[in-house]
Amino acid sequence: MTAVTTRAEGSAGPDQRSLLEIEDLHVTFQRRNGPATRAVDGVSYQVRPGEIVGVVGESGSGKSVTSLAVMGLLPPRGVRVFGSVRYDGRELLGLSGGQMAALRGRDLSMVFQDPMSSLNPVVRIGVQITEVLLAHQSMSRAAAREEAEHLLRQCGIPDPRRRLDEYPHQLSGGMRQRVMIAIALACKPRLLICDEPTTALDVTIQAQVLELLKELVTELGTAMIMITHDLGVVAGLCDRVNVMYAGRIVESGDRRELFAHPRHRYTEGLLSSIPRLNEDRTEPLRPIPGTPRDVVGWDDACAFAPRCRYAQDDCIVGGLELVGTEHPDHLLRCVHPAPYYLDAGAGHETDTAGGEDR
Amino acid sequence: MTATDAEPILQVTDLEVHFPIKSGLIFDRTIGHVRAVDGVDLSVSRGTTYGLVGESGCGKSTLGRAILRLEEPTNGSVIFDGIDVGGQSAEQLRRLRRRMQMIFQDPLSSLDPRQSVQSLLLEPLRAHGLSEADRDEYGADSPKSHLAKAAGMLEVVGLPRSSLAKYPHEFSGGQRQRIGIARAMILNPDLVIADEPVSALDVSVQAQVINLLEQVQDLLGLTYIVIAHDLAVVRHISDRIGVMYLGRLVEEADSDELYAEPLHPYTIALMSAIPIPDPDIEDARERILLRGDLPSPANPPSGCRFHTRCPFRQPTRCHDEVPALREIEPGRRVACHWAEDLRAGKLQVTDIELLVEASADQGRPDAGTGPAMSETRH
Repeated sequence: MTAVTTRAEGSAGPDQRSLLEIEDLHVTFQRRNGPATRAVDGVSYQVRPGEIVGVVGESGSGKSVTSLAVMGLLPPRGVRVFGSVRYDGRELLGLSGGQMAALRGRDLSMVFQDPMSSLNPVVRIGVQITEVLLAHQSMSRAAAREEAEHLLRQCGIPDPRRRLDEYPHQLSGGMRQRVMIAIALACKPRLLICDEPTTALDVTIQAQVLELLKELVTELGTAMIMITHDLGVVAGLCDRVNVMYAGRIVESGDRRELFAHPRHRYTEGLLSSIPRLNEDRTEPLRPIPGTPRDVVGWDDACAFAPRCRYAQDDCIVGGLELVGTEHPDHLLRCVHPAPYYLDAGAGHETDTAGGEDR
Repeated sequence: MTATDAEPILQVTDLEVHFPIKSGLIFDRTIGHVRAVDGVDLSVSRGTTYGLVGESGCGKSTLGRAILRLEEPTNGSVIFDGIDVGGQSAEQLRRLRRRMQMIFQDPLSSLDPRQSVQSLLLEPLRAHGLSEADRDEYGADSPKSHLAKAAGMLEVVGLPRSSLAKYPHEFSGGQRQRIGIARAMILNPDLVIADEPVSALDVSVQAQVINLLEQVQDLLGLTYIVIAHDLAVVRHISDRIGVMYLGRLVEEADSDELYAEPLHPYTIALMSAIPIPDPDIEDARERILLRGDLPSPANPPSGCRFHTRCPFRQPTRCHDEVPALREIEPGRRVACHWAEDLRAGKLQVTDIELLVEASADQGRPDAGTGPAMSETRH
C-alpha cells in the first residue's frame, strides 16, 4: 500500500502535483469578552494524490480544527480563518457556501469520530447514502439505491439490502462507522479526511475499520488525511506523519524515519510515554511532565518549552520555524532536538547545539 | 509474583450478575436477562495487581462493581480477606468499604463539582475516621489531624497543598484523576479497584497517572484490580491478567506469559488488533480480524461464546459444548477446547477470510498459525 506514492522530489515548498496545499493556515476563535484563542497557528502541509498523511496530536493541538477549516465546516461567527487552502490549485478559503457544498461530498469528504452523532437518527440509512449520490451525480433514485447497496457491501456490511431500510440506532458502533465511510466514499472523492474515525470503537472493531479504510483508499486511489491521537494507528497506515502541538506542526516526516528517529522532544516524549505490548513492562514509563494546557504562545517561545526536559534559555525565542534536518524530508521545529543517529546504531552524533536550527 | 504462591486477599467464586430486561406498561414483566457477568472465578493475591481486559460490553466494569457490592450479585460469592462480602449487613458493609475503594474513569463526573478538594478529601475521613496506621502519625480523629492527612495525601499524588481550596473544574484531567486517586487512597484501603483509570486522559498524561498508581502501590502495599480495554496499559501495570469475553473469563495468566504466548483465540485476536507505534512491526505482522461485533449478552451464543467470531472454530464441539476455564499448566487458565492443539500449532485458521496477512512487500511465509504472530513481534 505504500507503493501508491512516490516521493522522489524534495519535501518543503509547494509541490506542483499536490492535491491539497495548506499554507500558513490560522484559525482564531473570538470570545465575546476575553482574548481570542489561536487554535491553529500557522499550519502548512501538502497532500499528494493517493497519499495517506497522518496528523497526530493531543486534544487542543488544533488537528481537528485544521480539517474543519479545510472542509469549510467552521461556524461563520466568532471565527477568523486566514492563510490559504488550495485544492487542486483552487483556493478554498473564501468560496461561497454553495460552491463549497458542491465540492464537499464529491471531491472532499470527511469521516467523523462519533458516527451516532453524525448520522441523522430519524432518517433511514439508505436515504442518507443516496442523498449524497443524488446531490452530486445525475442518477435515478433506483440506480442510486442500487449503488448504495453496492457501497454498503463494499464496506463489509452483511445483508446490505435490509440495512438500507434500517435506522442508525439499529446498527452497532462499528457498523455505523462503516455506513459513514460508505457515505464519505460514495462519490469516489479524491481526498478523504478521517477525524479520529476509530477512537469510539473497540480495538477489534478498530482493526476492522482501519483495514477497510486502507483497502478502499488504495483501491480508489483516494488521498487520505488521518487525524488521530494514537501513534499506533499512524504507524501502520500513513505515508507521512505530521505531529502537532499547540496549533503548529512541530515535526513532520516519512513515517519510518519519524518513528525510528523522532527528533522533536515532544514526539520523543509521546513515544516513550505510551506502554507498548512489545516492551519490557518492568521498565517505568517516562511521561511528559505537565499537561497540554501548560503552553505559552508561539510568539514568545517554543510552546512546548514549559513541559520540555531539555528546555534551555534559548528556547524562549519567538518565530521558531519548521526547518529541514540532516535527513531529507524530515522537518523539525525545535532549538535543541534529539541528536541524529545514523542507522549504524553506534551513534554518530551530529551537532545539536542549536545554532543551525534557528 | 504468581497469584498461586501468595495468600489471596480476594476470592471470587462463580460470580453472576444478571440484569432483568423489563417490558410492559403497567406490569413490569421480566422478559429476559442480560448476563453481564456469568460465572467468574478469580483470586487476587495480596500486594499484586490483577488486570481485567475486554471490549466494551464484556462485563468487566460490572464485575468490578459486583466485587465491591456496588452491584448486587445474582449468584456466587466474594470473599475479601476471609470475609464474605455478600453476607454483610449494610452497616458491616459500610465498615468494610474503608478497606475496598474504587477509582473511576471520568474524574469530572465522579467528583462533586461543588465540593472543594479539601471537602472531597475530608469526606471519607469523616465517614470512616483515620486508619490505625495514620492515627499513630497524625493523632486521634480531629479536624486538624484529618486536614494534615489530606495535605499529606495530596503530596503523595503530586499536587500542591494549595489545591485544597480549589474546585475540580480548576484542574486538568490528569490532575483531577490524581484527586480521585487521593480520595480513594486516603483511608489506607487494602484493595483498590480502578475502572479505566487513564482512558479519559491525554496520551502524554496517561503515563503520569500509571506511574503514580505504581508508586502509591509500592508506598502503601496495595492490591489493585485494574479494569481497562487497553491491553498495553493493563499489561504494563498488572502482574496477572484476566481476559473477559461476554461475561466470562476466557483466559488468565501472568502478564508476561500472556503476552509471550496467548492461548485463547480471542486473546490472540485482541493482541493482534492493537496497533503498535512502530512501522516496521506494523508492516511485518499479520492481523487476525474478528468478524462482526460482540454478540448480545442477553442472548449469548451456545457452546463457546466466542465461536461465532472465532477464526479457529472447529466443527460441532465449539458450537455445542461450553468450554470450562481449565488450568493447562500452573498459573495458566484457558477456556478453549483446543488450547493444546492451538499451542502446538496443529490448529489452522478455518476461516481464512478473517486473517489479514502482512503487507505484500514483507509478507512472512509462516502466516496461518495463530501463536506464530507473537514471534513476529520479537
